[in-house]
Amino acid sequence: MTGTELIFYLMAAAAVGGGLGVVLARNVVYAALFLLLSLLAVAAFYILLATEFLALVQLLIYAGAVIILLLFVLMLTRARDVPAALDGPQKPVAAVAGLALLGLLLTAVAGTTWPRDVGTITRVPFESIGDALFRKWAVPFEVASLVLLVALVGAIVLARPEEGE
Amino acid sequence: MESVTQEIPLEHFLIVSGILFSLGVYGVLARRNAVLILMSVELMLNAVSINLVAFAVYTAPELFVGIIFAIFVITIAAAEVGLALGIILRIYRNRATANVDEVDQLKW
Amino acid sequence: MIGMSDAWLLPVLPGTAFVVLVLFGNYLPRKGDWLAILAIFASFVLFFPVAADLTDALAKTGERFAGVSNSITWFQVGDVFQVRLGVFVDQIAVVMLAVVTFVSLMVQVYSLGYMKGDARYGWYYAVMSLFAAAMLTLVLADNFLLLYFVWEIVGICSYLLIGHYHERRSAAEAAKKAFITTRIGDLGFLIGIILLWRSVGTFNISETFRAASAGEIPTNYLTASVLLLFLGAMGKSAQFPLHVWLPDAMEGPSPVSALIHAATMVVAGVYMVARTLPLFQAAGDVALPLVTGVGLITVLMSATMGLVMSDIKRVIAYSTLNSLGLMIVALGAGLTTAAMFYLFVHAFFKALLFLAAGSVYHATDELEVEQMGGLGRKMPLTAITFFLGALSMAGIVPLAGFWAKDDILRASFDNQNIAVFLLLAVSVVLTALYMTRLVLLIFTGEPRNRRAHERAHDGPPAMSLPLVALAVLTVVGGFVAFDAVGKALGFPGGIGEFVFVGGEPESFAVNGGVMALSIVLAVGGVIGGLYIWGGKALPARRIAGAFPWAYRILRNKYYMDDIYQALINRVVLTFSAVVAWFDRRVVNDTGVNGTGAVPRITGYVLKFHETGKLPNYALGIAVGVIVLAVVAFAKVA
Repeated sequence: MTGTELIFYLMAAAAVGGGLGVVLARNVVYAALFLLLSLLAVAAFYILLATEFLALVQLLIYAGAVIILLLFVLMLTRARDVPAALDGPQKPVAAVAGLALLGLLLTAVAGTTWPRDVGTITRVPFESIGDALFRKWAVPFEVASLVLLVALVGAIVLARPEEGE
Repeated sequence: MESVTQEIPLEHFLIVSGILFSLGVYGVLARRNAVLILMSVELMLNAVSINLVAFAVYTAPELFVGIIFAIFVITIAAAEVGLALGIILRIYRNRATANVDEVDQLKW
Repeated sequence: MIGMSDAWLLPVLPGTAFVVLVLFGNYLPRKGDWLAILAIFASFVLFFPVAADLTDALAKTGERFAGVSNSITWFQVGDVFQVRLGVFVDQIAVVMLAVVTFVSLMVQVYSLGYMKGDARYGWYYAVMSLFAAAMLTLVLADNFLLLYFVWEIVGICSYLLIGHYHERRSAAEAAKKAFITTRIGDLGFLIGIILLWRSVGTFNISETFRAASAGEIPTNYLTASVLLLFLGAMGKSAQFPLHVWLPDAMEGPSPVSALIHAATMVVAGVYMVARTLPLFQAAGDVALPLVTGVGLITVLMSATMGLVMSDIKRVIAYSTLNSLGLMIVALGAGLTTAAMFYLFVHAFFKALLFLAAGSVYHATDELEVEQMGGLGRKMPLTAITFFLGALSMAGIVPLAGFWAKDDILRASFDNQNIAVFLLLAVSVVLTALYMTRLVLLIFTGEPRNRRAHERAHDGPPAMSLPLVALAVLTVVGGFVAFDAVGKALGFPGGIGEFVFVGGEPESFAVNGGVMALSIVLAVGGVIGGLYIWGGKALPARRIAGAFPWAYRILRNKYYMDDIYQALINRVVLTFSAVVAWFDRRVVNDTGVNGTGAVPRITGYVLKFHETGKLPNYALGIAVGVIVLAVVAFAKVA
């Protein structure tokens, strides 16, 4: 197998492994770290798909900010690792649902013929992404920034200490 | 835009994305800690992003809507995580628990 | 120039007075009684040009005169249904117009004195005006629907006026009884009207006549319709068995009894039958004899009951029943002229009798004849006018009542209705008997109640003038039967020449034998009455003692009221209990409460899925998405 394929399989294993870790780990902090692993693997996928910009964004935001946030909140809510308490009573149903979904998705993938000649991807130039982002998709861009503002204000309001604390 | 040979077929990416998504669903439904549920949601969002980008690059590169979409997904996910964690903190402050099974005041 | 086409003005004037009185009556000086009287007086005055126009038209067209009509469209539904408002003037209408306007005027003037100081004085005059308007419209109506509409309004006015003293339980009950009993008749009336409309296609009365005479209505159908119409007349004109309300209606003030239950409303039924007589004649062979039969039963029942009742107004009420029965019998024999003539004179002497009785009550506060006696000396005017009215009722020559009654007797004899003739002859005797009894017990002899006697006096001029006017008419009114008198008044002849519907004018004829017989019977009745009830009335007591069972039956009104009450208790109330059960249990408990209970129970059962737990809700979403995906996938695949 070629190098690309090897890297792909490795990263895939890392992603899936990380995912498994997130949903099965007994220790919440371990779960968070497994999530980090998974996110990093996803960033690698982006690179494999020739969208380096996205990989960078992924690393910065997800691996950088989101994980840190999650860890902070884990600390603040003093999540204890009580062994059986992390999984709810819905575990079996959840497993069924997850497997059903997986089955559906795999069947869909397997049963479809793909239009293009599989084996070529196209690298999208960085400039055109930027161009599109600020021209064609300018409105969603602005709305997204508004969303971020709202989230910011909301998070501050929610998390600030109450009067008298 | 230039074409790059790719030995990895599209379906592989889709399969990985599917697996990750299913794992995320399982996590959302089975886990009790609110933060863990949030992590599972992040897993799902990532899976979706991979899906979108893969399709964009493999099948419709002139449009690259998928890439833009993925950028926005990441942005919104970040915002959502911030807000959700704020809520979790607040709930923890009021009820001293981060266990979603114990927050059932809207029960019948 | 006011003519027959403008006859609609006659009801409109009192109608307007009604509206004004209802809205502004309380603010007018004297509560607006002058307005009501002015309106009815104006109607009375307007009657004369209308009558003159009619006589001119009669003179021009002679026997073929068929009346004049004038109408406007009230509303219309497509091409299918049209309701018109219109007036139709012919000879019998003109007779009724004369009666209604004049007697209404007299009664309203009388009420100035009688109802003075009454708590609901303004309302009384308002309803009186409404009644006058409705009655005049009834007389003039040219289509059945309008007729029915004002027929009901007249019934409502009767209800309101009978129940004028509604603080008194008996008055409220009497008003209810009157309304419900006439309602039974009205139901038949309405069904009859609808049947006729279905067959003919229009409500117009003249059109219906034309259709009937042209044979366009199947005979059985026509007979049924006509009998149903007669049911309405039975209710309104208190024929057996719907007569029970009239005696009780005496709970109302005396002027009301005089106007409504003597001269005008109760003859509405008679008028309606007279108006629609061509339909009766075109119907099957059972219609007219049935009419006559009902009338005869009423005549005999009421005459016998009048012999024993002790309340003045009730006796007069029974005499009204008697007269109404007589009119119906005449119509049943096809004698429109005789019936209308009797109606005409009856209005005067009956109203007179009631007003005089009212005068007695107003003075002495008593209505029971047992409490009276010897009042003649203390209230001479009342006594004389009452006496004249009574003689007229009994049919003593040469008063008006005699000519009218004799006309009926003669006509039925000429038409070979021997059975009818004999029964009518019997009723002449009975009538004379009970009227004499009444006069004797009230105005002659020794006073039986000192206090009543002390208080007796003749009424104020407002009350006395109408009595005098009516008395004069009672004496001379009958002479319009003679051609000479009629011609002198401007009519083509006597009343026979004037009032003929669909037939030919009749000159006043005299059958010497019949006339002699009726004179003998009437005078004999009076003498008999004098004997039985004169002086100490010993013979009366002997007879009552000899036939106690007869006396009891008569006193209890042939137990008719008890029969009705038993019917109501057994049938109506049982049925209504069933209906009430249905309403309570099925409609309310099951239907309404049940419909409310279903969501409640469903909600209670369904609420358990709201666990409040986030994972459960997330599961719901996930399952939903998977199911949708499977369905979509299956469709595509």
